Amino acid sequence: MQVLINGVISGMSIALLALAFQIVYLPTRVFFIGMAGIYSLCPFVVWSFLNAGMGWPVAIGVALLLATLVGFLCEVLVHRPMESKKASSGAHLIASLGASIVLVQITAMIWGNETKSLRTNLDSLTHIGSVTITGAQWVTLGIGTGLILSFWLALMKSSLGLKLRALADNPIQFSLFGYYVPSYRAASFAAGGFLAGAAAIGTAYDVGFDPHNGLHAVLLAVVAVIIGGRTTFVGPVLGGLLLGLVRAEVVWHLSARWQEAFTFVLLAAVLLLLPQGLIGSKTRREAME
Amino acid sequence: MNYLLHLVIYFDIYLIIALSLNLIVGYTGMLSLAHAAFYAIGAYAYALLSINLGWGFVPSVAVGAAIAAILSLTVSLPAWRLKGDFFVLATLAVQALIYSVIYNWSDSEAPIGSLSNLTNGPFGITAISRPSIFGMKISGQLSYCIFASIVAACVAFLSWRLQNSPWGQLLKAVRDDELAAQGLGKNTRMIKVQVVAIASACVAVAGALYAAHVRYLDPSIANLDESILMISMVIVGGLGNFRGPFVGAAVIVLLPEALRFVALPDAIAANFRLLVYGLMLILLMQFRPQGIAGEYKME
Repeated sequence: MQVLINGVISGMSIALLALAFQIVYLPTRVFFIGMAGIYSLCPFVVWSFLNAGMGWPVAIGVALLLATLVGFLCEVLVHRPMESKKASSGAHLIASLGASIVLVQITAMIWGNETKSLRTNLDSLTHIGSVTITGAQWVTLGIGTGLILSFWLALMKSSLGLKLRALADNPIQFSLFGYYVPSYRAASFAAGGFLAGAAAIGTAYDVGFDPHNGLHAVLLAVVAVIIGGRTTFVGPVLGGLLLGLVRAEVVWHLSARWQEAFTFVLLAAVLLLLPQGLIGSKTRREAME
Repeated sequence: MNYLLHLVIYFDIYLIIALSLNLIVGYTGMLSLAHAAFYAIGAYAYALLSINLGWGFVPSVAVGAAIAAILSLTVSLPAWRLKGDFFVLATLAVQALIYSVIYNWSDSEAPIGSLSNLTNGPFGITAISRPSIFGMKISGQLSYCIFASIVAACVAFLSWRLQNSPWGQLLKAVRDDELAAQGLGKNTRMIKVQVVAIASACVAVAGALYAAHVRYLDPSIANLDESILMISMVIVGGLGNFRGPFVGAAVIVLLPEALRFVALPDAIAANFRLLVYGLMLILLMQFRPQGIAGEYKME
């Protein structure tokens, strides 16, 4: 039971990041690896503001604002000019990788390469039956559930959400209806940046952070998207939770050293046997394109 | 002088890497992140065979290249079905698996190189011997530099011949329009298997050269950052022709030297170098997607 709870909670942060990835990938078809840079940068901003004596709300507010801004800038400075030149998806992927390298290295140059922690005191513990949950895990659980639910509501109920879904569905028709596609693309990048920042701060509060863990976290999120199904907004959340569970079980039954191997065996199996993911809807032929 | 030789040796190693990766990425259009894994296999094969069995350079490299070529099926077989971003992810899985195996195949009780402690895990392998060829030991820096240059020249010649052969033209055909190549009766699956196997075997040779030069190995040479660096090198240099890899290898060797003039503090010099690489990737994708000296634009 403890393993199950731990899995769900760590899965929650993967799910959040996977959702951030998906909110960019579906409308724009950009493999937004640059998110890794945002993921690395955010906790350091929070850390600096806390050390400067500001309170948590200010620190988190500024960091999330910055995350949103960086996401927006990635689109405006990197992807939009390429899109107007009809760059291929491979070129977008490489440029996004370049953006993530730049952001991570800037973070490392400003704050150093060491691991830092957002907490100074020991964590509080809550016992429910045989299960123990730490304060940080409660925070992750609360933020994760809250953000995922509110995001989903926004996506399904608000007008911007509807437009983003329309853009994901058929960009050409969307622009034919008179909507200016670049501004909606920028909105999806900004939203992705915001979610990535939130996921980063949650994880950093739980386990600490260093500038170089961003890429790994984003790759896990991508794996979650593939497992869950890359054509929907529910898939990444499902995939994230499942991945968290599997990884927790591997640690419990085998060893933490084989966590990565198992994750990627799972990825390979899904890619080859179930290319549309668990709840993806496209046919196999389309998923291979 | 010694330092110059060291740079030339590094150039040779990077050149082999770039030439072989260019065959996969530039000629066949498959973006593979697993290249560092095969590089590491070559390095470990050389280190273990030369330390434990006392084998010379040629047989141990041959074994390493053969293992890399066989394991390269894990990259080429998924390429039969997967395209684009999905293929990249599949190669990422291969890289992560091989890295995990190298990292975890250790047991502190057993001696290095035994079946239960093959790679010594994160602690790595030290005191790797300099190569010996047909009983002749290559020990000095100068002779090793000449040796590495000869090996690199051989690989360059091989890749030049391959690229200009009908087989090389077929690679480009598969890259540009696989369906058309199939329509002409070409076996495009077979050619993917062949090109990935050849490139992986070549990069295993580069790994052995690296192991014999640095004489210390740890699993970090198989990790994702290494693969990304290799990809950036090929893309910066240029995709899809013979010149590109030379430019890419030269850039990666000379960039740190150029940055010396900026006089950055030591703590951030390495970070700054990577930063320049990231910027180059963004700018190249923006203004010159085929790389500095390349012909093929990423798809």
